[in-house]
Parts: sequence; C-alpha cells; structure tokens
Amino acid sequence: MASGSEPWSSGVAEEDALIGETTDVELLKRAWRNEKAAPEILQFQAALVLRAREQIQLLEGTVEEFVGNGVDDLAVSLYQMDLDRTQFLLRSYLRLRLQKIEKYMIHISKTNLWNRLSEQEQNFAKRCTDIMEKHLEQSVLSRLPFGYQSILKQSISSEEDDMVPEPQLDTFVFCKTRGDVGAFQLDDTGDEMVDLVADDLYVLRYKSIKGLVENGQIDLV
Amino acid sequence: MYGRRASQLLGELAAAETGQLTVYNSDTFDQVIKECNEHNVQLQSLFRKMEEQNLDIQTTRNEDYFGAVIHHLSLARNKRCLMAYMYNRAETIQSLRWKIGKKLPQEIQEKLSFSEGEYFKNHSAAIDSYMSELDLDLTVDMIPPKDPYIQIRVLDDIGEVSLGDLEISLTRHSVHFLRRTDAEQFISQGLMEEFLG
Repeated sequence: MASGSEPWSSGVAEEDALIGETTDVELLKRAWRNEKAAPEILQFQAALVLRAREQIQLLEGTVEEFVGNGVDDLAVSLYQMDLDRTQFLLRSYLRLRLQKIEKYMIHISKTNLWNRLSEQEQNFAKRCTDIMEKHLEQSVLSRLPFGYQSILKQSISSEEDDMVPEPQLDTFVFCKTRGDVGAFQLDDTGDEMVDLVADDLYVLRYKSIKGLVENGQIDLV
Repeated sequence: MYGRRASQLLGELAAAETGQLTVYNSDTFDQVIKECNEHNVQLQSLFRKMEEQNLDIQTTRNEDYFGAVIHHLSLARNKRCLMAYMYNRAETIQSLRWKIGKKLPQEIQEKLSFSEGEYFKNHSAAIDSYMSELDLDLTVDMIPPKDPYIQIRVLDDIGEVSLGDLEISLTRHSVHFLRRTDAEQFISQGLMEEFLG
C-alpha cells in the first residue's frame, strides 16, 4: 500500500527517511494516536490524508471489482476489513481534530496553532467561533453592564485575555521513543534530566516533550 | 449573599451526568443577570460619590473604594459563572450533533433556550459544510470496526431494501446479517440496532 512519491508537507527530514520503511496506514495510525493523546491540536498531516483517501478509493475499486468477478468471498471480506479499518482511522483522525477545534476554537484562532489547521478546518473554526460568539453575545454578554461585555476578558480592567479556555499542556502522557534522544531536560531550570533511550515507554508531562512530539522523535500512546 | 445564585447554576451543571443536559434554568439565569446590573449600579454610585468628594479613584483607599471593589469582583464572578454555564451547555450541545445527529428529539429541544437551539442548528451546519468540503461523512464509523459483517435487529418496518446485489425485506424485529457499512446508515437513523444476543 505504500506510495512514498508525493512530497511530504511537513518537510521534516527524519520523517522522509522513515517513509520508505513504513506504510501509509501505519503513518496514519501514528498520526491518529498522537492526535488522540495530545492535549493540544497537532500539525495537520495534509499529504498523508490525501494519500490515505486515494488509497481508500483504490481499495474500494478493488473490492467492487472482486465482487464483480466472483473472487472468493473470504478474500473479499479481508479486503473489506482492511478498507473499513483505514476508513475508520481517517474519519476518526479528522473527527478528533474537529472536536479539539470545537473545544479550543478561540484559543486556536488567536495563537499560532492556527497554522496547524487545514484550510477546511480553518473555515470550520472561523464559523464555529462566529456562532459561539453570537450565542454567548445574545444570551449573556449583551445583558451585562458596560465594561463586562468582552468574550475574552472578565472585565475592562483585565490586562490579559483571561476568559479563554486553553488546553492543559502540563497533563501527563504516555509516550514511546522512536530513537535514542539522549539526556533530555524536562523543565526550564535543568533540575530534572531523563535519559531517553530508543523504544522505551515513559510517562511524562506533555509540555516538556512537546518539541519531541512535533518533530517526530517520540510517539504518544 | 452575593454570588450564591450563580453558584447554584453551576451546581446544576455539576450534578448532571456528563453529556446530559438539564433544563435551561432561565429564572435563575435572569436573576443573576439582574444581580450583575445591581452590582453595577452600586459600583457606579460609589465611584460617583468618590468623584464628588474630589478623590482620585486610582489612589484613594477608603471604605467606598473597597466597597466598589467588592461589587466589581462579585460582578466578575457572576459573569464567570454565567459564561461557564452557557459555555459548558454549548459544549454538551455540540457533542449531541455527533451522538444523535442533525435532528434533536423533542425532549432535548425542550431543554434548550432559544439561543441554544439556534446554536445547535448553526453549529450543525458548520460541521455539514466541513464534511461537504471534504466530501466525506464523518458521522459514521464512530467505533472501530471489528468485523465487516454484523448481526442486526430491525426496530421498525423498513420494507424492501436493495443492498448491493441483494434484495432484502426488513420487517420489524427480524434479525439479519449485513455488511456493517450497509447497516450503519440505518443504525444512525435509529431503525436498527446491533444484535449482540
């Protein structure tokens, strides 16, 4: 099923090297698992989603052809099962992202997390935010006294936006290293160091390994 | 006591099971809004009083100033509670689109305020337009598939249906063995259920 010829959008050299070794379904599974476990939204895997959709179409064609040609039912059902699984992965991946957008839409739209969304997701986030703002505006904010009507701030005297739900980045996640990372600093002060060896399981704060997840050195499980 | 009603609202949220909606409590909600406006009236009148005495609001720390602070903080707290109430309900309402579908049953609609009803419709439309941009239905395949075929029980008379190359009569209470992809659309409409017996 692997087709590694398309350009890889995130452009990380390490990912490129790994593409030859593993199939798109594996990659999709990994993207899905990371997305599922990460508290914040991750980079949209544009090229991977595109390839997965092409392969689903191809597979659908194959299954139909098999049914038409009277190929053995068992073989057909195996292909069908493969197809179902890939479709579930793809749908669930996209769904997880939408649900994160639903949850943190305002936070996402005012930080650089915005660039991690696909074009369609950005449209969705924009619409969602408008709808949510309208709803809160007409049911709460417009009925409050002047100075307390902002959706972002508690009152006019707040200096920062203190009413925006944000993902909890210091939550703990289970993660698995893909290669040797070596001695890794867990906090800013450098008090806590951990030696991350290849293929080992860890439970760490998401915040401290965020960078490793983003560049693909560690997988969430 | 200031702020008690607002915490009652949140108490209702907390008491409800996750994912379940309680009836929109417009009485308490309106009362809290009223409380907010009363706080504001008090707040403004204290400020006016200080201005009349030619005191600088930024630096003066007398009883009027601290009174005003209490009104301000109570107001801000009430706002937080009101927003939390609305926002958490809105989150539950969002999740209904995924769990139930586009059309909400009567008993749930009755629990929503007017604005919430609108919100559900608009939010639902936003999901639909995302799915049509992608040309992919995301509301099926909610659970990971185990087997391409499942056993289902028909809950309502559906009649003759052609599924692929096979004509099948789906009468009420009958049990069939179908392709999961075929059955899913009926299950999401509530016409069938997975038969695990």
